[in-house]
Amino acid sequence: MTANSLHQTGQAARTRTRPGRSRRAEARVAVLFLLPAILLVLVFRIFPLFWGFGISLTSATSTDPGQFIGAGNYLRALDDPNFRSAMANAVVVLLSVPIFVTIPMLLAILIHQGVPGRTFFRSVYFFPAILSSVIIGSIFSVVLSFNGNLNALLSIAGISGVDWLGHSATALPVTLAIQCWSTFGMGVLIFLAGLSTVSKEMVEAARLDGAKMWQIWWHVIIPELRPIIEFSTVITTIGLLTSMFGLIYVLTGGGPGTATTVPEYLIWAAQGKLNRPAYAAAVSMVLFFMTSILAWLQIRILSRNANI
Amino acid sequence: MARVELKQVSKSFGSTDVIRDVSLSIEEGEFAVFVGPSGCGKSTLLRMIAGLEETSGGEIFIGGDDVTDAEPADRGVAMVFQSYALYPHMTVADNMSFGLRMAHRPKEEIASKVGRAAKILQLEEYLQRKPAQLSGGQRQRVAIGRAIVRDPKVFLFDEPLSNLDAELRVQMRVELAKLHRVLGNTMIYVTHDQTEALTMADRIVVLRSGRIEQIGTPQDLYQDPDNAFVAGFIGSPRMNFLTAIVQAGGRLAFGGQEMDSPAQTPLEPGRKLQLGLRPEHLDQDKGVDLEAKVEFVEAMGSTAYVHATLATGETIIAERRSSQPRTGDKIILHFAPASARLFGEDGQRIR
Repeated sequence: MTANSLHQTGQAARTRTRPGRSRRAEARVAVLFLLPAILLVLVFRIFPLFWGFGISLTSATSTDPGQFIGAGNYLRALDDPNFRSAMANAVVVLLSVPIFVTIPMLLAILIHQGVPGRTFFRSVYFFPAILSSVIIGSIFSVVLSFNGNLNALLSIAGISGVDWLGHSATALPVTLAIQCWSTFGMGVLIFLAGLSTVSKEMVEAARLDGAKMWQIWWHVIIPELRPIIEFSTVITTIGLLTSMFGLIYVLTGGGPGTATTVPEYLIWAAQGKLNRPAYAAAVSMVLFFMTSILAWLQIRILSRNANI
Repeated sequence: MARVELKQVSKSFGSTDVIRDVSLSIEEGEFAVFVGPSGCGKSTLLRMIAGLEETSGGEIFIGGDDVTDAEPADRGVAMVFQSYALYPHMTVADNMSFGLRMAHRPKEEIASKVGRAAKILQLEEYLQRKPAQLSGGQRQRVAIGRAIVRDPKVFLFDEPLSNLDAELRVQMRVELAKLHRVLGNTMIYVTHDQTEALTMADRIVVLRSGRIEQIGTPQDLYQDPDNAFVAGFIGSPRMNFLTAIVQAGGRLAFGGQEMDSPAQTPLEPGRKLQLGLRPEHLDQDKGVDLEAKVEFVEAMGSTAYVHATLATGETIIAERRSSQPRTGDKIILHFAPASARLFGEDGQRIR
């Protein structure tokens, strides 16, 4: 009996040491797996960020490293009408975020509801998401030009043509509409995935409770989709602030005037057209700051709700 | 309170028949339990009564009204789901009052109904909590509260205790039985657990492959099963079935033993039958004896279940309360001939 219990303690001691050793080994493997990603982030994200910040404090051009001028570039931005209108345009872009989130949600709800031909719609809606922004830009610059297809269609109905992309009042809304068209398919997929996790029994319970279809959507399903709505809001916001360059470049080149110049486009113009990399770096820092604060705010809201 | 009546009800999904020609009436205030193995159609039948599944054929009446094509909310039923199906973003009070709020009932009415349900279920101190802050048992009570608030004619329960641990399940079983006494409503309860069925039901409906095998009180089903399926399904451990051959003079040969047939029906010699013996009936002091060799003993404390083989090689489970034999022992099992049940080869009872 004693021998037996001794044997057991020995075994217990052995099994106690083993997890410690395997945990260290596991940690080593984990580091190995994480290292490439960490290196990439450090080299291509964090380092350029600080580098860019350094450049933004100088008067550098592409040929001359320039001198340290402190906040000079930032102060200049405040006086720059291009920068101010880029910021004003950014606000308009941000105001359109709810539309970018709501449209895919409503379409996903309709598909989820089981409208006829739902698989067809699901693939068709996703189709623009696989096209390059350059292709989309080219298609719409043909369709929306003053002599283009849309105006031709309108003239049949007796409506006189509009220079959709050449008029400062319509250029930005139209560009945003095209951006929406080209990205909503992804949103639909995300919302469909979210809808598939809503418990069927809960919806049935609501039916038994006598809730009408819209009441079920409004009071039961949409609250359940809240994390998805928030996720979609965060990625849409970041996407709108940082991924519209291609479309704007092809469609309007930031014009007419500065009607479609967003901060992202201004960065390119300062760097590529005007040879002012230091100024471009300063605007980049402002854009980075803006995006970070918005994302931080949204993620805070998101994690607060995750605790319910 | 209302009577529920099903007339030749059927349901098919495509070419698969899930419910076949079921006719059944559940009396006012009765606690009826649908029981059967998984896939027998018991939940589908309940969902058809609730209106969550369309009825392919036949008619459903609740309180005398034909509700076959009525909306779920218009049938006067409330349902408690296995997953509780609570609204996670609403408080307990809002969960319970959801139906009334959607119907724009006056605030005083909502408050008094929620208050009453919370009092019955002892949920008063949890009214402002969200479901995630409650235990499984409390969530289940909220789901029941939501049903009570609706003031339904009929309560429907779809395996409501399956997600609870064993101890809580026993406790909730008692609470549900009490609730039925307090409210007095007609209740239909679906379970795959025959213990739940036996302990709670006024009447049990045993289903298999979408058909009713037998309807009766728990005692009816236990004492007087219509067929081998019901006999095997009701009671735990399940009834032993031994092959029996009819001998000349109506005697039965089985398990290395012979006895007079317990059935009134005359039996032709040479016919092969199944003799059903419940484990708890094999612990008599006298009666017919069966010699068996113990293979394995499941000790349960006060009793033991002995797994043994007979002279014919058939295995048998017997309950032992007084003595607990050991593996390898030869034992003699005694049973009263009247406790044996006889079934034909097709499984139908021979009385």
